[in-house]
Amino acid sequence: MAGINAAKYMLGETVRMLKCGKVSNLISVIIMGFSLLVLVIFILVTLNVSMVIEKGMGEICVYVYLEDGVDNKITEEIRAELLGIESVRGVVFVSKDEALEKFREQLGKNSDILEELEANPLPDAFRIQMKPESNTSLAMEKIARTAAEWRGVDDVRYGKKWVERGEKLVKGFYMTDFALGLIVFLSVIFVISNTVRLSILSRRESVEIMKLIGATNMYIQVPFVIEGAIQGIVSSLLAMALLWGACSFAGRYLPGLGFFRFEGVVGFVVLCAFLGSIGSFVAIRKFLKR
Amino acid sequence: MLVYEIMPGEKRIIAGVYHLSKVLGRHFALKDINFQLANGEFVFLVGASGAGKSTLLRMMYMDDIPDSGQVIMGAYVSTRIKRSDIPRLRRKIGIVFQDFRLIGDRTVFENVALAMKVAGTGITEIKHEMTNILTRVGLYHKRYELPGALSGGEQQRVAIARAVANKPAVLLADEPTGNLDPMVTRGILELLFKINSGGTAVLMATHDVELVKSFGQRIIYLQDGKIAKDKEMLFRGNLRESISNSRVDHRVKKFTEHSIGEDDDGKRES
Ligand SMILES: Nc1ncnc2c1ncn2[C@@H]1O[C@H](COP(=O)(O)OP(=O)(O)OP(=O)(O)O)[C@@H](O)[C@H]1O
Ligand SMILES: [Mg+2]
Repeated sequence: MAGINAAKYMLGETVRMLKCGKVSNLISVIIMGFSLLVLVIFILVTLNVSMVIEKGMGEICVYVYLEDGVDNKITEEIRAELLGIESVRGVVFVSKDEALEKFREQLGKNSDILEELEANPLPDAFRIQMKPESNTSLAMEKIARTAAEWRGVDDVRYGKKWVERGEKLVKGFYMTDFALGLIVFLSVIFVISNTVRLSILSRRESVEIMKLIGATNMYIQVPFVIEGAIQGIVSSLLAMALLWGACSFAGRYLPGLGFFRFEGVVGFVVLCAFLGSIGSFVAIRKFLKR
Repeated sequence: MLVYEIMPGEKRIIAGVYHLSKVLGRHFALKDINFQLANGEFVFLVGASGAGKSTLLRMMYMDDIPDSGQVIMGAYVSTRIKRSDIPRLRRKIGIVFQDFRLIGDRTVFENVALAMKVAGTGITEIKHEMTNILTRVGLYHKRYELPGALSGGEQQRVAIARAVANKPAVLLADEPTGNLDPMVTRGILELLFKINSGGTAVLMATHDVELVKSFGQRIIYLQDGKIAKDKEMLFRGNLRESISNSRVDHRVKKFTEHSIGEDDDGKRES
């Protein structure tokens, strides 16, 4: 019975807090919502940029050019050898005719100059796609060295300079991004914990009175913790809604701009509910201990 | 029904302060305070501003702990009490202040009900009791008002109703009439007497000697943190004897409605 009364009381108090503190709750939620917005914008930009990077890096391929007039058997041997390499995901054969056709397409209306050619000067080639996890200049270098020795292979090429430069850029990006992310995250935590503290401070009088009439810490804390969780949920939903609006607007100018997946949104909201209740708990705890 | 007319055997000590000293800032706010409170007693604690009345009461509801000596409230001893037991103690005593300390955004009913809710009482029982309590303080008709809509005297009545809602063994009142004019003061005092006649011991701090003298109750005079005079001194020997016997303390735990026993809510409920 006492347990049920206590639960009823705590729920009642929470509802009451939400009802009575409508304005201050709204202000808190808006402040939290906007600071969370900064955080989710940051996360989304990071995700989108890293997606572009992944895609860009994925487009870098190693080409294995074959000697002119190599027979089918040797070509197939080379294919098998290449597929046997750990870091290789796939191999595509590009015949000299295909290559010429592609070249012609790239030249567009200037393709006339190709008419002068007596024979196709381009070699047959294999285009190697690397596994994403081993898409590094080191792995490419290794393939280039090994394959160059094989019978029937004329040359191996990849955008060595580009790959190396790209890798530096990516590394720099992630480091700056991580540092920035840490700053954003800490600021958000700071803003939110201050908001929570203020909202508790504004009710310090009734908390004092509760203590005087013999309310246990549990009775005092639980409504605050539930309120914190609700504020976390509402403010994270607000941040997500704002971001979604901004995204669908920006999407017109930046096609391919991705939004979080549904699971991502749910995860974020749950995390914020958790952080909200923890934040309230820590704040009220400190206040009660004094 | 003056205290010293009651036979010593009939009395039970429900609260005691023993060799209590407290330093605040660089001075003794209280120095070697000794007194006891029997069940059903009404005691005025009189002293000038700064004499240490509020400090003494704070030690009694264990908002602060003595630097030396101890306070015993029923089964709770200041030197041994656990943090988690303080709320339990507070539910067994009532506290009233000069500034009422009502929650401004709750109605009269809700303010009083809160004390009962906090003690784990169900809403059905609260509603049932509330008619009684609010009628007793003469505010049943104003139960849906907010404190801000009430006069000072009425607010203090609400505070008193809240303080006695859980049928406490002791009511501690710190200058409950300090903010009120003489007419209203009288009404509040009468209410406190009425509550006292229901069995609750009352310890009321005030600086108004003249007001208090006319009632013939026991008066403890506090001066610069020391007890200057205590009518109860007359039979101090007897009380000392009864309280120094630790078995008495245990018996105190056991008594019924008007005791500050250990919290037995859980046991009774299950
Ligand atoms: N927090 C504190 N720090 C330092 N000194 C304090 C503190 N609180 C109280 N005092 C001092 O302790 C003494 C007793 O104060 P207390 O408030 O108990 O007096 P009081 O009898 O209740 O006075 P009043 O009638 O004005 O309420 C005073 O000298 C006061 O200055
Ligand atoms: Mg005082």
